[in-house]
Amino acid sequence: MAIEQKAGSTFNIPLGPVHVALEEPVYFDLQVEGEIIRGTTLHSGHVHRGMENLAQHRNLIMNQTLTERVCSLCSNSHAFTYAMVVENALGIKVPERAHYLRTLTEEIKRVASHLFTLAIQAHLCGFESLFMHTMEIREIMQDVKESLYGNRMNLAFNCIGGTKFDLDQECFDFLEQSLEKFMPQFREVLDIFETDPLICARIQGTGILPKEEAIRLGVVGPVARGSGLNIDVRKETPYAAYGKVDFDIVTRDGCDLYARTCVRLHEVLESVKIIKQVIRDIPEGETRVHMTHIFPSQAVARSEAPRGEVIYYIRTNSTEIPERLKWRVPSYMNWEALGVMLRNAKVADAALITNTIDPCVSCTER
Amino acid sequence: MATFLNTLLQNIISGPATDPFPFGETFSPKRVRGLIRIDRDLCLGCGMCRHVCAAGAINIQRNSLGWTITIWQDSCCLCRSCVTYCPMHAMSIDPNWHSAHVEEDKYKRIEQHTISYQPCARCGTPMRVMSLERAKELYAADPDIDPEEIRHLCRSCRQIRDAEQSTVCMLRSDISTAPAAEKS
Ligand code: SF4
Ligand code: SF4
Repeated sequence: MAIEQKAGSTFNIPLGPVHVALEEPVYFDLQVEGEIIRGTTLHSGHVHRGMENLAQHRNLIMNQTLTERVCSLCSNSHAFTYAMVVENALGIKVPERAHYLRTLTEEIKRVASHLFTLAIQAHLCGFESLFMHTMEIREIMQDVKESLYGNRMNLAFNCIGGTKFDLDQECFDFLEQSLEKFMPQFREVLDIFETDPLICARIQGTGILPKEEAIRLGVVGPVARGSGLNIDVRKETPYAAYGKVDFDIVTRDGCDLYARTCVRLHEVLESVKIIKQVIRDIPEGETRVHMTHIFPSQAVARSEAPRGEVIYYIRTNSTEIPERLKWRVPSYMNWEALGVMLRNAKVADAALITNTIDPCVSCTER
Repeated sequence: MATFLNTLLQNIISGPATDPFPFGETFSPKRVRGLIRIDRDLCLGCGMCRHVCAAGAINIQRNSLGWTITIWQDSCCLCRSCVTYCPMHAMSIDPNWHSAHVEEDKYKRIEQHTISYQPCARCGTPMRVMSLERAKELYAADPDIDPEEIRHLCRSCRQIRDAEQSTVCMLRSDISTAPAAEKS
């Protein structure tokens, strides 16, 4: 690592661009004074794939597959929000059963995504056995995805007008069995994450994002909720079946890593609550309506991905290739908060703090 | 700390969490997406699957005798769009996920069918015979039409046949079975 000496006792340390927290490229220019980070400059753009341009050269159905590949952990949120934005633009009314199925899928993905972040956090704390154990529990959700949808990551379940296929009783039975297996194991892990003295000592009071800063930077998702902001798109503008299920927004006032960890842990419990209600209440019926005509129109759709609010905008013309497709992802908003969180933190905590916003570099840079 | 030691102890007692694959069985759900298959008896050559395939994994090559439909399994990203949008339900998913292969086989992993036109039973124009099942489904509302007969007729003859005898008299021109001109 090249260390360049600046005036006084301040050094500049380059961190990255390879594998800072996750296997994704980000590059930090840290100004350090001894062990303490005094300032940070973030550089991004290493995985820009020109996806918005690609979307303007593909038809609406192909874009369903393309948008699912913007991000891997919240792949379903992108495909889901994309389907919603097209439906909004073209006035397609989605069947009720499809709304419930979409809600179910989104929550299964959220559980798996949160567990992944928590596992990585344990890994960055140096707690490898907890990392392995959390990933093992997450595997139950991966098996659910594989059994219900056939794929482990990019579920390819949403399509314009509903869902690509239906789930039968056998799927719901398997899901219920899996949840029964999952819950006791998850409660055990929740307890470890919340009370283990080694983890607490490392994450309490680290990576502080005060509430005022959170409001100023407009952060979203668990990062905002960990700083005491009561925001969640699922409650503010209920979409799919979220208006019909009962769940709570989890918030914590700690503003540190520990608060955000607790938010994610308890959101998993809320997601499981939603999944159980969907299994109980799902109506019978069709799961897809056809897209019958395309006309010049524009629309916006937003949803709560595991990392926060996703916004899609589309402008169509009379052809099946959209004139403009634009999206804003949660990591883009949370990115700037790293500058605040890293200030006055220890160099050794940089990776841990980066992980706390659950960064998705590929969707930020798309 | 005590709780995690407890968890560790349980993990040691319960043994490995991973499956012994490839030396033993592993978890293979029956809905898992392994390969895309085409039912050559059902495919009409309409090109819808190619139109929706974001991965560009499907190709349809036409000539005066018929067409060849190909899926490159290595390009396919298993998005299931072709299965969803195929109007004849000719596409399906095979749960065989054993896709590991050596490098030189990468272009050989294809699903390919060459389907020939047959002459129309009335006028002799080369055309594709529709599957009996689909013909029954399409003409379900029209008891005067014999699905077995109508599926051997080309588009124009089908319209004439429809008009001649049908009491319901519906024109079924929405599905073309005549060779369509190759798009660029
Ligand atoms: S969409 Fe179906 S019927 Fe049409 S060409 Fe493809 S497989 Fe054949
Ligand atoms: S599953 Fe998707 S990628 Fe594969 S052939 Fe069908 S449309 Fe193309």
